[in-house]
Amino acid sequence: MERIHSLYLHVPFCTWVCKYCDFNAYAVLDGLIPPYVDALAREIDAAGDTLPTGPIETLFIGGGTPSLLTTEQLRRLMECIRSIGLADRAEVTLEANPSNVSAENVEGWLQSGVNRLSIGVQSLRPDALRFLERLHSGPDAIAAIRTARAGGFANVNADLLYGVPGVNLSGWIETLDAVVAEGVQHLSAYELTVESQTRLGQEVRTGLVQMPDADDQLEQYWAAVARLESAGYAHYEISNWSRPGFACRHNLAAWHYQPYLGCGAGAHSMFRRNDGTTERRWNIKGPHSYIKQAAGSGHAVAGGETLSRERASGEAAMIGVRLLDGTTAARDFPDQRTQLVAAGLLAEGDGNVRLTRRGIELANQVGATFLV
Amino acid sequence: MSTPTYLTRAISVIAHVDHGKTTLSDRLLEYTGTVAPRDMVEQVLDQLDLERERGITIKAQAVRMLYKADDGNTYQINLIDTPGHVDFSYEVSRALAACDGAILVVDASQGIEAQTLANVHQALDHNLKIIPVVNKIDLPQANPELVREEIEKVIGLPAESVIFASARQGIGTQEILEAVVREVPPPTGDSNAPLQALIFDAKFDAYRGVVTYIRVLEGTLRKGMRIQMMQTGKSFEVDEVGIFRPERTPVDDLSAGEVGYLIANIRNVRDSRVGDTVTDEARPAAAPLPGYRHVTPMVFAGLFPTDTEQYQQLKEALEKLQLNDAALVYEPETSAALGFGFRCGFLGLLHMEIVQERLEREFNLTLLGTAPTVEYRVKLRNGQEIPVDNPDKLPDPAEIEAISEPMVIATIVVPSTYVGNMMELSQERRGQFLNMEYEPGDRVVITYRMPLAEIIHDYYDQLKSRSKGYASLDYELVGFEEANLVKLDVLVAGSPIDALSMIVDRSKAQQQGRRLAEKLKTLIPRQLFEVPIQAAIGGKIVARETVPAMRKDVTAKCYGGDVTRKRKLLEKQKEGKKRLKRVGNVEIPQEAFMAVLSLD
Repeated sequence: MERIHSLYLHVPFCTWVCKYCDFNAYAVLDGLIPPYVDALAREIDAAGDTLPTGPIETLFIGGGTPSLLTTEQLRRLMECIRSIGLADRAEVTLEANPSNVSAENVEGWLQSGVNRLSIGVQSLRPDALRFLERLHSGPDAIAAIRTARAGGFANVNADLLYGVPGVNLSGWIETLDAVVAEGVQHLSAYELTVESQTRLGQEVRTGLVQMPDADDQLEQYWAAVARLESAGYAHYEISNWSRPGFACRHNLAAWHYQPYLGCGAGAHSMFRRNDGTTERRWNIKGPHSYIKQAAGSGHAVAGGETLSRERASGEAAMIGVRLLDGTTAARDFPDQRTQLVAAGLLAEGDGNVRLTRRGIELANQVGATFLV
Repeated sequence: MSTPTYLTRAISVIAHVDHGKTTLSDRLLEYTGTVAPRDMVEQVLDQLDLERERGITIKAQAVRMLYKADDGNTYQINLIDTPGHVDFSYEVSRALAACDGAILVVDASQGIEAQTLANVHQALDHNLKIIPVVNKIDLPQANPELVREEIEKVIGLPAESVIFASARQGIGTQEILEAVVREVPPPTGDSNAPLQALIFDAKFDAYRGVVTYIRVLEGTLRKGMRIQMMQTGKSFEVDEVGIFRPERTPVDDLSAGEVGYLIANIRNVRDSRVGDTVTDEARPAAAPLPGYRHVTPMVFAGLFPTDTEQYQQLKEALEKLQLNDAALVYEPETSAALGFGFRCGFLGLLHMEIVQERLEREFNLTLLGTAPTVEYRVKLRNGQEIPVDNPDKLPDPAEIEAISEPMVIATIVVPSTYVGNMMELSQERRGQFLNMEYEPGDRVVITYRMPLAEIIHDYYDQLKSRSKGYASLDYELVGFEEANLVKLDVLVAGSPIDALSMIVDRSKAQQQGRRLAEKLKTLIPRQLFEVPIQAAIGGKIVARETVPAMRKDVTAKCYGGDVTRKRKLLEKQKEGKKRLKRVGNVEIPQEAFMAVLSLD
């Protein structure tokens, strides 16, 4: 098995679960976080003993809202990871809600080893934040970015959402410009996606909420692309931009189809066998059952799948193609490549292929072509 | 254990759908000990999965029951189950011709319904003695007294003769059997006369060849006898005769009045045609039984594998299916748009649907069926006359002297309330009114002469829906008639799609073209690029619609943990596309090829 250098930790707790969210997240239940951290620590230890893991080059603590962890709890988890082996120049990202980014927390996070902060700004507009059920305000979000930077974070990401009902093109650009003006090193801009299992999904189904049409969504997307390019950000993945040298190494590893270990409730892991097959496992989703399982045995695997070499290679192409500099992962699919180039969705470069503008708009059609 | 003729009976059970025909048949089998209750699978008589799902009978079934009656005699009662759809009306008529009586089942809460009447009329046409039964009397909303009165008033059967039953609870079963042995006349045939046996169905058995379902009307059929099929002239030596109990059980002979089967090393159901008369080659009957019709396909359509690699499999599947289906014909066909496939002939649309579904299910194929059409006769300027069963094969208009289309006499039987609706519909479909007769029991028989092409589409469905289900239809081919017809072509993304061409009445052509283009626009899913759809008559574009290009299909978030989910989503999308046929660059769904069927 290939050695694993990427680790994802999932913290499935939130103060409030927003209506559009379909991640594995639960409104925080008093007293559940401490046993959860215990279970998570146990799972990391056990994985370190049984899998070819480390040194960890990239660590991503996501959620949920991992900024709900106390500095103490975070430090404890970092210790577990250090015992597996944490590379000197490892990228360590923590996802944070603007409301949790205080000077005190920033100091604690930095001290425990976090060196990249990803802040869930989403929007600066009061109407949009209300629609999205976010508990912070626009000024809170700006203050959070400033606090993080002033406290010593040299690598800050802001997550933004566009295509929010009620926010027109100029409203979206206003938010984008204001965040760029704060000097963040990295930006993720996601289209607000309606997932059927969420409350938003239900509101859209029943006609209570009307989503903007595809043309409006794409207009906001391409406006952001142009804006960020002229502001000096490199557009390196469909929804991600960074200053030179600040692309998220953890996510790049996944897009390059590198193996990773995921710990925590509902976390996925991906392993590469030497024969080219891929193995995926996922943990129990519910925090209660996860705690019970992982605290006892150190394992909480709920299911898994093994992909043949052929299917794995299709999957690698499907996600690799999302990288806008191009990918070599589609090399096993000459026919599909030719067909997609002819359709104007892919452009061929030196040994690799990359999405055209139209290809970005239809990236799923491109990705599906490689699934055999 | 042969039964004297006077103790033999042959009946069928007729009913409106869901009135309890199957449950009642099951009870009769149980009560007579033909099938033990523990072996009683739901619906012993309906055997194909497809039949069970659709609640229709496609193939006839037969079973022999022995019943010890109150008079002390043991009777042999033969129960024949009949199919029920206009496509198979000829098969039904032959199955009924093999019976002497019918048990009519009417639901105690629903009363007489559309099909009840149609069935009764058919049974009366075959001079069957009818045993009326009011079923489901145990249900709370049942009103058996009222239904009994209705039966007397509407059908004219005396109220005293009506039996109350609950097939579910086994109430009335014995009474029904007693009525059958008492009321249904015994067969009149003479076991010593020259053999005349009526074929009412045939099935292909992979090990034994064709199993021919027969009722012996005159004479005796014996194992080892050399028989001749009087219509086809073919002769065979009988390997086995037997009865259904309900599984095949060999016997030494079948004598006048008995129902059973024969196996005679017949390799093809075409040599054992429904309606044909089996006779003794050494001592043949003077004449075949009346009512034989050589069944010919009425509608033609292309069947193509969506995956071109399944062509060979489709060919083998058709060969196998044809062994069991005398009405199915096919020959290889090549379409510029769809590749290699087969031009198939069917009895009607339901038959086509059934064949396609069986091919897909039983042989694991994914098929695309093109719009069904009739067979035209085209007279060329050079004097030649050619048949055309594929619109695309219509010669250049400059070479055509005249086109003739098949005509039918359609007979509609309907209660008087709906006569107006029936006439309106038939007129819309280019029908020429021939005759109308009022018969007893509020029954009107209307006859029209009309193009078969107008019938094969949704005429039957329309007939049913505009008469609340009461109308019944039968039609018979009566020849060809010249008509003013043109070919309507369809171009998708600039290329003509041969499989979408249709032959239409000139006066309706432009309107049909517009409707077809509009309909196709809704049926062809958005593609990566804009797809123009055009309808053309003789090179002149008469309609144009455009399917806009797919605007956007991109997932915003895709990280390590989302990959499995995303891959499964895309795989599912891709699976759905398998039902689409790629023509040039455009993916066209099956429904598009059937769009012409419902343009009104």
